[in-house]
Amino acid sequence: MESLQNVAAGFAVVLEPTNLLYCLVGVVIGMLIGVLPGLGPAATIAILLPLTYGVEPVTAIIMLAGIFYGAQYGGTITSVLLRLPGEASSVVTVLDGHALARKGKAGTALGVAAVGSFIGGTVAIVGLTFLAPVVAGFALDFGPPEYAALALLGILLVSTIASGAKVKALIAAAIGLLLATVGRDAFTGAERFTFDSLSLADGIDFVPVAMGLFGLGEILYNLEERHRAVHAPGKVANVWPSRKDLKESSGAVTRGSVLGFFLGILPGGGATIASMAAYAAEKKRAKDPSRFGKGAIEGVAGPETANNAAATSSFIPLLTLGIPANATMALMFGALLIQGITPGPQLVSEHPELFWGVVNSMYIGNVLLLIMSIPLVGVFVRILRVRAAILAPVTALITMIGAYTINNSVFDVLLVVVFGAVGYLMKKFGFEPGPLVLAFVLGSLLESSLRRSLLMFDGSAAGFFTRPISATLLVVFVVVAVLPLIRAVRERRAAVPAGATAAADGSSDGASAKNREEESV
Amino acid sequence: MTTPDRRSPRLRRVALGATAAAAALTLAACGGNVGAAGGGEGEDFPSGPVTITVGQDAGGSTDLIARAVAEGMAEDLGVAVPVVNRAGANGAVATEEVAGKPADGYELVLLNASLITITPLAVSEDEAVDLADLDVIKGLSQDDYVLLASVDSGFENLDDLKGASGDIKYGTTGVGTGSQLAQAALFAQAEIDGTPVPFDSGSPALTAVVGDQVQVATVQLGEAKPQIDAGKVVPLLAFSAERNQFLPDVPTAVEEGYDVPVSQYRALAAPKGLPEDVKARLVESIDAAIASDTYTSFNENNLLTPHEISGEEVTTEWTELADKYKALTEEYDISLAEG
Repeated sequence: MESLQNVAAGFAVVLEPTNLLYCLVGVVIGMLIGVLPGLGPAATIAILLPLTYGVEPVTAIIMLAGIFYGAQYGGTITSVLLRLPGEASSVVTVLDGHALARKGKAGTALGVAAVGSFIGGTVAIVGLTFLAPVVAGFALDFGPPEYAALALLGILLVSTIASGAKVKALIAAAIGLLLATVGRDAFTGAERFTFDSLSLADGIDFVPVAMGLFGLGEILYNLEERHRAVHAPGKVANVWPSRKDLKESSGAVTRGSVLGFFLGILPGGGATIASMAAYAAEKKRAKDPSRFGKGAIEGVAGPETANNAAATSSFIPLLTLGIPANATMALMFGALLIQGITPGPQLVSEHPELFWGVVNSMYIGNVLLLIMSIPLVGVFVRILRVRAAILAPVTALITMIGAYTINNSVFDVLLVVVFGAVGYLMKKFGFEPGPLVLAFVLGSLLESSLRRSLLMFDGSAAGFFTRPISATLLVVFVVVAVLPLIRAVRERRAAVPAGATAAADGSSDGASAKNREEESV
Repeated sequence: MTTPDRRSPRLRRVALGATAAAAALTLAACGGNVGAAGGGEGEDFPSGPVTITVGQDAGGSTDLIARAVAEGMAEDLGVAVPVVNRAGANGAVATEEVAGKPADGYELVLLNASLITITPLAVSEDEAVDLADLDVIKGLSQDDYVLLASVDSGFENLDDLKGASGDIKYGTTGVGTGSQLAQAALFAQAEIDGTPVPFDSGSPALTAVVGDQVQVATVQLGEAKPQIDAGKVVPLLAFSAERNQFLPDVPTAVEEGYDVPVSQYRALAAPKGLPEDVKARLVESIDAAIASDTYTSFNENNLLTPHEISGEEVTTEWTELADKYKALTEEYDISLAEG
């Protein structure tokens, strides 16, 4: 078994003291920058790249990889505590994570997220170890038509994610799609809604939108609330999830791991779609979907597991095909080039020690992160004990700095302020920012993939059904869209003759009646 | 096919490490000497950090070039040379920002030729960047475009492509890029029916041609080389004026009789009106940077061909290219701003 020997040799590489040390340094840095909104793993790796020139390639990549998946852990912390998602992939965590924190269960949310991330990451590494060459081709089968179908499915999921009124969620999602069209048209070079401003030529960045709507909007809204009623500082009941919490989230963690692993392989946006799909799946499966958005533990466990699994499996295209799946992976590609190693289809056979060293370092890195998270959860949740009068301006400041660091642009800071005001107004009028932000993220993927596909099909929409993956995804889309309607009609028919029994079955029927009502609006 | 740099990664690394250490030492030594040689404005320059603004995100090839040059310049100038990324509108945001700063030599921008020569063909006039607002200091290197075919397409050379029936879907790295212009001009001159499919950058375009989502695509050599070496894509043509040293067996479009020399060139520039002595000092430091072993091996690793010409030559060359491309698009009725 040559491959097993390579795996074992990989562990020998990781366990060298230097490599262990760099792995630790990487995950600690990753976790810290994950906590700071704005400064993402891509920027951090770019800044720290020169530090890796002097060390062995495998050591360099072990550290950089640690930064990447460490940041996924750290990003959860601000999403839960301050409602500040630093990455698109942690937007859905905000919905239930922050609701849990407000109930005094921040520790539960963070603990479950840490455990889920650990399991998701580990499952994905096992997948990476045994399946990498097999599933690598999956990424290549995904062309524009498949992305278009996937994005369409994603946007449908957005409308189910919202916990409030469906119509308001759809309005918010439509605004999100509209915002995604801002910028120079990538197909014709025409200007769209840029008002002759070069700052808008590339469209609006995700971070200012998310930070304004969630972060600043929340701060403004809370300031107003406090004038009406005096709130005691948020109490922190527990710092660690109970056995019951863990048991409740075990299903979500399992499903999140598998979803995350496969969607993470796709170049571009894999982790975001994975976290959304995991959230939607949990909500669909739940006996009482109305708990979601109000602090359902599965709503944190599912997406957090999925985005970590996806972060890990996004190494597959880089290491087996030489294709960087996202900006961070592109930097890893650059780091390897500097070291004189060209990532490509021959990497595994030419540099097995590098491939297996990096893969196996992730097992160690995930264990290190879990060990660090347990005591740190207790420290982080104390943030909630800080008085709002102090916490609010500090959070606002961090948000502004975070937005500035993306492009060194004052314009982005102004955008945060604008979207902060929009977020405040949305909240005041009962609109949720979640669907807007998620539709915004998926909007440009949908538009460009759809137009690319139509160019490939000579303008014929029937082309989508000639390709197995896109056809399957579209069938799933139709089923997901139509099934609730059919079910509602059936239930209504059944309800007429059996009115008495339906009334007895109080809670569940009440919920479905409410759903029906919302759908018919 | 093994490239020479593959054979000795360890050696190269040691050399890199050693140069870096040496650089650090020299930097420290220089630090103490700033201003020791007095007299004249240029002699005092620089008394503070010299910033290089890059119009692309950190980690891309333009950014890596800026960082490689900055390292050597810092060593020679004895001051810090930070690289600032200011992505947006293909680099127009960064260029306009720097062009509006004082011409004192402390603010430089790394220019991509395509922003001057090709992008104006795709965007409105008031958005286009004018070389007249800038003082070009020094040309750096040339990055060649290669036309690649997917393995499943069965194309082995240009004749296969010309003989193919039906509409060829070709992947480009975006609207207003060299990749789009080169292919549009080639297809028009060779009378091949084709539809451009624009991707966001080189990497997704490459992925698409590896996965046979499009039959052919044109990307920069540095990105495509590993896939070419692994036989996952077939190189048909290089769009450089002369054969690329890293692809000696691949013919150029010019050799095949098509007048489409398109490469990506990069140069350092400053706001218009730079004092002569300051400019001379900057040229000197860039010359020192590009002569270093670290920089030469950086070029080799990234498959960049040195194209180290003076600022005046850059201005002439780019202006000529802009005119040539404009004439080409008019002659063959090519519109870059059409999907």
